[in-house]
Amino acid sequence: MKIRLEHGAGGEVMEELLRDVILKNLTLKSAGGVGLDALDDGATIPFGDKHIVFTIDGHTVKPIFFPGGDIGRLAVSGTVNDLAVMGAKPIALANSMIIGEGFDGDDLVRILRSMDETAKEVPVPIVTGDTKVVEEGIGMFIITAGIGIAERPISDAGAQIGDVILVSGTIGDHGIALMSHREGISFETELKSDVAPVWEVVEAVAKAIGWENIHAMKDPTRGGLSNALNEMARKANVGILIREADVPVRPEVRAASEMLGISPFDVANEGKVVMSVAREFAEEALEAMRKTEKGRNAAIIGEVIGEYRGKVLMETGIGGKRFLEPPVGDPIPRVC
Amino acid sequence: MRAYRIKVQGIVQAVGFRPFVYRIAHAHNLRGYVRNLGDAGVEIVVEGREEDIEAFLRDLYTRKPPLARIDRLERKEIPPQGFDRFYIEKSSQEGEGGNSIIPPDIAICEDCLRELFDPANKRYMYPFIVCTNCGPRFTIIEDLPYDRENTTMKEFSMCDFCESEYKDPLNRRYHAEPVCCPVCGPSYRLYTNDGQEITGDPLKKAAKLIDKGYIVAIKGIGGIHLACDATREDIVAELRRRTFRPQKPFAIMARDLETVKSFAYVSPEEEEELMSYRRPIIALRKKDPFPLPDNLAPGLHTIGVMLPYAATHYLLFHHSKTPVYVMTSANYPGKPMVKDNEEAFKELREIADYFLLHNRKILNRADDSVVRFVDGKRAVIRRSRGFVPLPIEIPFEYNGLAVGAELMNAFGIAKGGKVYPSQYIGNTSKVEVLEFMREAIAHFRRILRVKELDLIVADLHPSYNTTKLAMEIANELNVEFLQVQHHYAHVASVMAEHGLEEVVGIALDGVGYGTDGKVWGGEVIYLGYEDVERLAHIAYYPLPGGDIASYYPLRALMGILSKVYDVEELEGIIRGYCPRAIESLKYGETEFKVALGQLVRGINVAYASSTGRVLDALAVLLNVVYRRHYEGEPAMKLESFAMKGKNDLKLEVPVEGKTIKVEELFVDVLDLLEKASPADIAYSVHIAMARTFAEVAVEKAREFGVKAVALSGGVAYNELITKTIRKIVEANGLRFYSTYEVPRGDNGINVGQAFLGGLYLEGYLSRDDLTM
Ligand SMILES: [Fe+3]
Ligand SMILES: [Mg+2]
Ligand SMILES: [Zn+2]
Ligand SMILES: [Zn+2]
Repeated sequence: MKIRLEHGAGGEVMEELLRDVILKNLTLKSAGGVGLDALDDGATIPFGDKHIVFTIDGHTVKPIFFPGGDIGRLAVSGTVNDLAVMGAKPIALANSMIIGEGFDGDDLVRILRSMDETAKEVPVPIVTGDTKVVEEGIGMFIITAGIGIAERPISDAGAQIGDVILVSGTIGDHGIALMSHREGISFETELKSDVAPVWEVVEAVAKAIGWENIHAMKDPTRGGLSNALNEMARKANVGILIREADVPVRPEVRAASEMLGISPFDVANEGKVVMSVAREFAEEALEAMRKTEKGRNAAIIGEVIGEYRGKVLMETGIGGKRFLEPPVGDPIPRVC
Repeated sequence: MRAYRIKVQGIVQAVGFRPFVYRIAHAHNLRGYVRNLGDAGVEIVVEGREEDIEAFLRDLYTRKPPLARIDRLERKEIPPQGFDRFYIEKSSQEGEGGNSIIPPDIAICEDCLRELFDPANKRYMYPFIVCTNCGPRFTIIEDLPYDRENTTMKEFSMCDFCESEYKDPLNRRYHAEPVCCPVCGPSYRLYTNDGQEITGDPLKKAAKLIDKGYIVAIKGIGGIHLACDATREDIVAELRRRTFRPQKPFAIMARDLETVKSFAYVSPEEEEELMSYRRPIIALRKKDPFPLPDNLAPGLHTIGVMLPYAATHYLLFHHSKTPVYVMTSANYPGKPMVKDNEEAFKELREIADYFLLHNRKILNRADDSVVRFVDGKRAVIRRSRGFVPLPIEIPFEYNGLAVGAELMNAFGIAKGGKVYPSQYIGNTSKVEVLEFMREAIAHFRRILRVKELDLIVADLHPSYNTTKLAMEIANELNVEFLQVQHHYAHVASVMAEHGLEEVVGIALDGVGYGTDGKVWGGEVIYLGYEDVERLAHIAYYPLPGGDIASYYPLRALMGILSKVYDVEELEGIIRGYCPRAIESLKYGETEFKVALGQLVRGINVAYASSTGRVLDALAVLLNVVYRRHYEGEPAMKLESFAMKGKNDLKLEVPVEGKTIKVEELFVDVLDLLEKASPADIAYSVHIAMARTFAEVAVEKAREFGVKAVALSGGVAYNELITKTIRKIVEANGLRFYSTYEVPRGDNGINVGQAFLGGLYLEGYLSRDDLTM
């Protein structure tokens, strides 16, 4: 086998790589809590009556500066969000930078300042790091690891039949903004990435309804909302039914995605969380989200059902229902 | 004295076969019995003189009822048991899983029609009148054997009068399972769209409401129709608005043949098909000027017409002033036709003003079948009511399920050397349709007595729901699963229908997933028992945006032109020759620029050899159509437009090695745009495409020593292309085949899949042959 780009695209091909190659060749994969095999957003390590949550994320975004953010903000948000969706309050981050020879020093400063600002927003300290310079013109990669403390870790596999599904805001912003920026495709309005740490949103919901009533959580990054929901459905062996009209999408994102022929549900978000919460607390959870700045566009988008286990259905108004599949990468037309 | 046990297979239940046997047994002084078996076959035991038995057997073949078909007869001598008479024995559950099948739904017969309008008849004006020679079958049968308790008629117990007819072997209604009358049978009721019942004669009132300009939902044989006065443009426009169908042609039903002839041309073959017991919708050529509203079939030179096939329809026209109704399946685009009363009120409340519903359940949904005569022969577009469940013979004996493709879908069950294609299922990208398919598969397996499966065959497309469903079923039942390439299956469907062993096949259609992951649809293929090979294809061209290029064919045009012109030239050509295509994009100018950018940078671009998209692109370039609202629309309208052209401008499509360079055709067309009439250009591009494919196929056939050329795929419904290919193939001394029974589009692909499944199981073709 040769590694192809699809192996990192977050779809079924990547899933295969993770299961058949990575998980198979490692032996010690758990420290007593959620381990590598769970392929969750992070690992948990029992610690007294609480749990340490540990996660790591590599960031290779091109371009390094993009509308709405940059690789620094992304690197901090990415790791903070992986902790947050495990139900963990971020405690500390580690920062490893791999910089290509010839990288502009001013840009490096800009990126570090952006990291700093984002970390202060959470707040979370960056307590350790590592810097390497390589020959290739890679620009810059940032790998961040983080630890957090969870009273009650929340996996992405805990959705229960009858739960309600919420998203903390508009979907598709990061992926569509990045693509149009990168490819120099201009729309009438400039699209912006949503890159941001979402701990604030998660914490607000937990305070309002209690950790025990958030049954599952996920940040819809690579593969977008489609991928996140499919993973939640598959891992919990439940069905998920969402209503297309209820999923918040910015009009400019919708327009851009329609023009490109790419669904906003299939592209990355970097400042959103998807939650499956107990039905009786759904309204409270929504209210709590909406009170936060990053959750003001939150919405209830669907529910967890007992039928179609492992699958995600989308109601499309008069068009009926269709399956929402995880994205496959290149377009494979099917309309005759 | 001799005695025999005789087993008959074919179509021998639900067609008046037992009473017929009873009559001829009596006529020849034989004793014994006849009974239905649980596998849809019939068992006869006769005792009598040898010569009488011989005469009986002769009559069995020569005088059998009109709908009966004897495929196989087994006779075994047994010891005489001394019967005292000949009688009809109760049905038996037993049966060896033979090859018998229940008949399709049959249009009302002449005798019943006469009685329907005979005031002295007990069933005068009764819409559920039937006999053994007519009426619903497939749509009402739950299980075998075909007895009343296994049909939806079980809820209606017969009155004494009906029972006396049912039990009289000399009566036309002897053992006609749906027999009933106004006293004991189902009845119609008329409702407003909020469910209020309207008193009075429901059919008469419904007819009056239609005359007044209302839209009425009418429950019939295989589902619910939306009906309205087809002579009123405003009502048709309203129906379009309510059903979200701005362009899709509506089928119409005309009172009688004479009425049809007042607005359309009808050839003798078309007349025969129109009047056949199947009563399909036929796409007939419109008269010019066309006396009916244009918005029935906007932009097309054909109109889909059918004649009444149920007593209900005759009664409605009897009470109606207007001689033509729109009769379109009641559903929102992409969803299954509504068939149940409760569902009707829920789903159709916003569409229909009134509901004319009856209280007999429709068990198996069956849409009206649609055919078109192409190059003088029948091409089935949608194979459903009246056809289903009749089988197609294949030379492979196995039990299999072929799940078809995605749009216009049907599946097929293979059993005992035959494939039984299902009724029209529809667009399986919708969950509701997939559910319908799942139920229909279970029902087919039940009525065909197929418990064990040897193989499940699906398309190669990884994201079709049918592919996934097939995998699921295969896992569940632990059955071998096979995927086959789309166009191989199209070509195989022609081989199946005609029992061919090798062909050079031309598969022309919209979209099929190729063995190289690209989108195929303009293919020349060798297919034989020992090998499959893709011999030539349309040169790949980019489709910016993937599937949206199907809905906005300007994108396909841009993709094809981008192979020859750089981005500025391309922009200039579009702005110069079809600027209105840009406006027709959902986001106009901005979207046009985005699509240009996608082509330059390869963002979300698919690569295709589709013929459908080439025709779509030409439709845009010639300003015939810019948007697709229904499957095939741009290409269909281009054909209609081309029918106005007469001169062959002798365009050429160069062929280089394995690739057919259609982009060069576009270069020539651009050259001609200012010199020739657009209709002549449209005509000439059809001829040029057809000529190229025909010539390539002929050349390859010679090379391979093959005698037959097969044509399939949705483009084979195109008159100009099909006729041109046939003529060239025949002029070169080769035999030309398309399909006349199996649909040429994706509705028929299950038959080809089942055929390939047979080749695979018998070890002729390998998995790799079919997918790589
Ligand atoms: Fe096809
Ligand atoms: Mg992560
Ligand atoms: Zn009859
Ligand atoms: Zn009766």
